Amino acid sequence: MKRKVLFGTIVWTLLITLLHVQLNVGWSRLVHEAKVLVSGEREELIVGFLPVT
Amino acid sequence: MTEHSEQGTLFRSRKFTDWPTVKEALISKEVGGVFILAPMAMQLVADGVPIKVVYLGHRDGTAIVVGKDSGITDFGGLRGKTIAIPSRYANQNVLIHRLMRQWNIGEDDIDIRELPPPEHPTALQSGSIDAYIVGEPFAAKAEVDGFGRVLYHTKDIWPEFISCVLVVRDDLIEEHHELVQELVDGIAKSGLWLDESQEHRMDAAEIAAKNYYFQKPELLKYVLSKPVDRVKYTNLTPLREEFDSIMELAFEIGVLSRRVAFEEYADDSFALAATKKAWDLQQLPRPEETP
Repeated sequence: MKRKVLFGTIVWTLLITLLHVQLNVGWSRLVHEAKVLVSGEREELIVGFLPVT
Repeated sequence: MTEHSEQGTLFRSRKFTDWPTVKEALISKEVGGVFILAPMAMQLVADGVPIKVVYLGHRDGTAIVVGKDSGITDFGGLRGKTIAIPSRYANQNVLIHRLMRQWNIGEDDIDIRELPPPEHPTALQSGSIDAYIVGEPFAAKAEVDGFGRVLYHTKDIWPEFISCVLVVRDDLIEEHHELVQELVDGIAKSGLWLDESQEHRMDAAEIAAKNYYFQKPELLKYVLSKPVDRVKYTNLTPLREEFDSIMELAFEIGVLSRRVAFEEYADDSFALAATKKAWDLQQLPRPEETP
């Protein structure tokens, strides 16, 4: 029984985490931020402009 | 083309050709920030788009241009004429309405027409419009090509005129505050460098013409030198009093759907932090020198 509860909690947490990444974070952003954190990759920001001064 | 800050952050620029696409890119989070028209930024916030104005793109750098041989010598001469504006959400539109009030010209006495900025000079040359108001380099284009004449520079009729502002997404401000500060610092530093000497301006014209504007360097050199205060890149902190005045007039002429408070659409903390920093100004690296 104890093992089932533990297993259920782990699966539930995993599902919630995956859902959060899917809905709120985005996989590409997660991968990029992980690279920034782990392998020291540069932060990146795209700035749009119109060629009027 | 990419640029990197001293902290190593990559700042990529993306060129757009029309305002609606800019708006969409911002909403869909394709871009973190955008140089956008000041009243448009206000209206986006009024529409619920979570962004903040954090810095100005430049000061002045807009002119009203008429045909070289048109005989128009003041704004009163535009009564009954057709004038092009870059967008109804442009501060240039607000300025035209402000001038119409000053000159007692009614709403129906000038035909105001929206045209994409690159089309302004050709429309004037072809005679389909009598005048236009636009940001550089399209005002200078008609002068340089010999068929247009500047009626007014904004520096002479609305000193320190605001056209484009830098907006960034709220989520970026909340989650990557330091990244936004880096961006603002970089622009502030570039502006100081640009306004420091004429030599710097000519260098910048070469770089910008080749990598960003895809215009002849001579045109940008003209913009940055004739006269030298035609466009300025310092004093770029968004100031409440100036923005309130733009907002009020934009609301009165029906550009904004509602009044928007300064705090709703602006965050001047990045600009204020940048003004407190003292930088050792060096010549900006050429694109080929960037790693």
